[in-house]
Amino acid sequence: MILSRFQFLATFLVATAAACMPAAAQLASRPGAAVTTPHVRAELVAHAPNGVSPGAPVWVGLQITHQPEWHTYWKNAGDSGLPTELNWTLPAGVAAGEIAWPVPKKIPIGNLANYGYEGTVLLPVPLEVSSNFKPPLALGTGASGLDVRLKATWLVCRKECIPEEGEFTLALPLQGSTALHKTEFDAAQAAQPQPLDKPGTVEVSGNNLQVRLDGLPAAVQGKALGFFPETPELIRTAAVSGKDWTQSWQGGTWTATLPLADQRSASPTTLPLVVTLAEADRQPGQPVAWRTEAPVSGTWPTAAPRAEVSPALQAALAANAANAAAAAPPADLPAQPAGTFIVALLGAVLGGLLLNLMPCVFPILAIKVLGFARQAGNRSAHRTAGLAYTGGVMLSFLALGGAMLALRAAGAQLGWGFQLQSPAVVAALAALFTLIGLNLVGLFEFGRAAPLSVCSAQAKHPIANDFLSGVLAVVIASPCTAPFMGVSLGFAIGLPAAQALLLFAALGLGLALPYLVAGFVPAIARLLPKPGPWMNTLRRLLAFPMFATVAWLVWVLGQQSGIDGAGTLLALLVCMAAIVWALTLRGRTRLVIATVLVAFTAVLTAAIGRNVLQTVEPARLASGAGQRWQPWSAERVAELTGAGQPVFIDFTAAWCVTCQYNKKATLADAEVLADFDSKKVAMLRADWTRRDPAITAALTSLGRSGVPLYVLQAPGKAPVVLTEILGKDEVRAALSAL
Amino acid sequence: MSLSPSSDSRSIRAARHARAALSRASRRAVVAAAVALGASFLMGNNAFAAPAVGQQAPDFVAVDTSGAKHKLSDFAGKFVVLEWTNPGCPFVRKHYNSGNMPATQKSATAQGVVWLSVNSTERAASDYLQPAALDAWMKSQKASPTAVLMDEDGVIGQAYGARTTPHIFIIDPKGMLVYAGGIDSIASARPDDIKSATNYVNQALGEAFGGKPISAASTRPYGCSVKYKT
Repeated sequence: MILSRFQFLATFLVATAAACMPAAAQLASRPGAAVTTPHVRAELVAHAPNGVSPGAPVWVGLQITHQPEWHTYWKNAGDSGLPTELNWTLPAGVAAGEIAWPVPKKIPIGNLANYGYEGTVLLPVPLEVSSNFKPPLALGTGASGLDVRLKATWLVCRKECIPEEGEFTLALPLQGSTALHKTEFDAAQAAQPQPLDKPGTVEVSGNNLQVRLDGLPAAVQGKALGFFPETPELIRTAAVSGKDWTQSWQGGTWTATLPLADQRSASPTTLPLVVTLAEADRQPGQPVAWRTEAPVSGTWPTAAPRAEVSPALQAALAANAANAAAAAPPADLPAQPAGTFIVALLGAVLGGLLLNLMPCVFPILAIKVLGFARQAGNRSAHRTAGLAYTGGVMLSFLALGGAMLALRAAGAQLGWGFQLQSPAVVAALAALFTLIGLNLVGLFEFGRAAPLSVCSAQAKHPIANDFLSGVLAVVIASPCTAPFMGVSLGFAIGLPAAQALLLFAALGLGLALPYLVAGFVPAIARLLPKPGPWMNTLRRLLAFPMFATVAWLVWVLGQQSGIDGAGTLLALLVCMAAIVWALTLRGRTRLVIATVLVAFTAVLTAAIGRNVLQTVEPARLASGAGQRWQPWSAERVAELTGAGQPVFIDFTAAWCVTCQYNKKATLADAEVLADFDSKKVAMLRADWTRRDPAITAALTSLGRSGVPLYVLQAPGKAPVVLTEILGKDEVRAALSAL
Repeated sequence: MSLSPSSDSRSIRAARHARAALSRASRRAVVAAAVALGASFLMGNNAFAAPAVGQQAPDFVAVDTSGAKHKLSDFAGKFVVLEWTNPGCPFVRKHYNSGNMPATQKSATAQGVVWLSVNSTERAASDYLQPAALDAWMKSQKASPTAVLMDEDGVIGQAYGARTTPHIFIIDPKGMLVYAGGIDSIASARPDDIKSATNYVNQALGEAFGGKPISAASTRPYGCSVKYKT
């Protein structure tokens, strides 16, 4: 009870205070309706002849009276200056429209010209009062009103310019007429351009605009008009009519040719424009100006005829792109160059073969193959069995590959396109390869993909049995397959689907190959070594290529994220190894140590983890004369070839091994470099280690989607694209052909 | 009635001073005339059409506030920024008082860019500053242009089509105009707008050094009109 009474009291006090506020505020020096500066007198005025209510015309506006010689600006200020800005604060339910700009005048200043107003100008703005408008009830007087607040900024100039601003308030009575400034609003209305019935046309022709307007009133025909584009930065504002620009009448059609600005920065498709009668031709009570939004036809002259590709190069690029499009199946992932892919396929077959020597696979193979050798009788049955086994193995691998592709499809939006340009992907691959390496050295074991009981199942039909034994071999071998799968996965993840599946099939073929061969040539079986400790030695040995891969990936990451990123990655890899080891422990020890290690890793990741993902800017090469390689840019190429100098472009990336090899071998060869120098070839290097849309675009235009790419381009000749594995002789031959 | 020796020597000294001053003034006038002449010759065909972005920037010779001569083509191989300035203009003061222009100059020159501030304000203008006064103002603003060039005749300004103060032009190492326009993206006299505006000069230089095309190569300059000699 006490509380509610207290609330009542508080409410009463607040209400009383609020009622007193307007009076108090008016006594204090608060913004009024007018602001006077040394250069202008600005006043907020209103025109609401029928009071303020929904649907009734309500206009407010800023009236600026300039000192002689001073002016403020139109919506397109011309060569300099700024349009006057009005920012309204209005009660809810009331919205301000755009400024209804009166017709401006052209104000020449030497060789420049501006569009603006001198003398007295009123910038009217219509107010839209909706039915949502709830006028505040002014206590005491009973009258209510619409409070209009305006913050205006304007630039007033003679020869010098003064930015000025002012805050204005005005209370419009809701009932009764506000028509004190009727004359001014009527004058502003008369100074509005009238809309033209027909939009007219604007055609870009060379460095001119051809304007054509129909439908201007007959009284205007034959008279010289003023031209005011609403789009700034378009025509040469200071152009003088009759001298720099011309106009003429053909019957009722007005045409004009206007010069474009030298430093044009706008290329509109529709040009809003105003044409005006000269002051002397204006008749009281008659329209003085007309406005239209004319569609623009023709092509804007390129504001910047820079970085133009020569026609010959353009043709060659188009041919390259067409060839590439014809040769390569449409793929949304970048296709690897054919050479690299064949190497990868061979690698996969070899990997599959190596898989046979793993401790978990070899005994199976040995048993199966030696079984062949013992029952040397039915050769054709052996062949069928070998084929069936191979089919089983390969289909299993294809299934695994399919699963990988399905996973990848889910992540496709994440952008696998340039996977090695992303530090996150490089770091993830480094982690994967570390795990594989740790597995190979025996720190931990992958589990088998199916329980042993399933593995001993037998089918009745012998061929089905052999096929099934192929599938089972993959399942049983899965603890050892995992590392090899990992490698293929790392490579295949960036490939188009067909190529990725081929890679998995090749891996399967490799695994099945000894059995297949033994099926055809039984003598092979006798050559196989016996299972033994050597298998574990080999397995551990194979860990080192994995760790070498990790070393390379860390180096790539170092290029992207700097030494901090590489260091952080190594630290996190150590943590990961420790966690993996902890998970191999048993009982409470495992729980405690793993928890501690995971917590430590989490803290470390939170503290410095982002180092890995940061991208550091490449150290900029000082473009000194002594530098052989300059950073690539399309502009630079155009510049150099334009100046008659041949250029050699090395599209490269830190993560591209072939690129590094070429860089260290052929491109560092003294004879090759001497040839470059003797032909005065400019050498540009486009580094694609980080994402760079410009380089991607350049590669695409050359019909390629990846590095390495070597281009020798002589002025006026088609560019010569050299092979990925850059031969010394090839480069020298290409150079001597210059 | 002969003059005392002392007053005689004093008048001789005064005469000598006057002659020396005259010869200094005439030497300066001759140099200025030669430079203006040289500039108009160098500009030759470009006298009526300002270069658009992508075109060759007109060469010029100008004297700086300390009387040293600078020729644009001597800076071949470097990026050159031309900044039109006039301390009498509130927009110029916006960017100097706030430290924005000095900081932009500093970061550019630190990258090896040549920054030339050009004053094309005519002598008759109310806010014309003598070279020494302009220099002093620049120093008081902690500005760090490579040089402040005097262009009272407006020859350079007209050749480039400089319209406002500030108005910025960037010339690449090959002498090509690669940027023309404003200092930043918000055309206002309010210093508060600087922090939310895109500094086009920093952006253009950053892109140029990064080997990228300049994304905003032609923008609307804003500010006061350049007070050209009429």
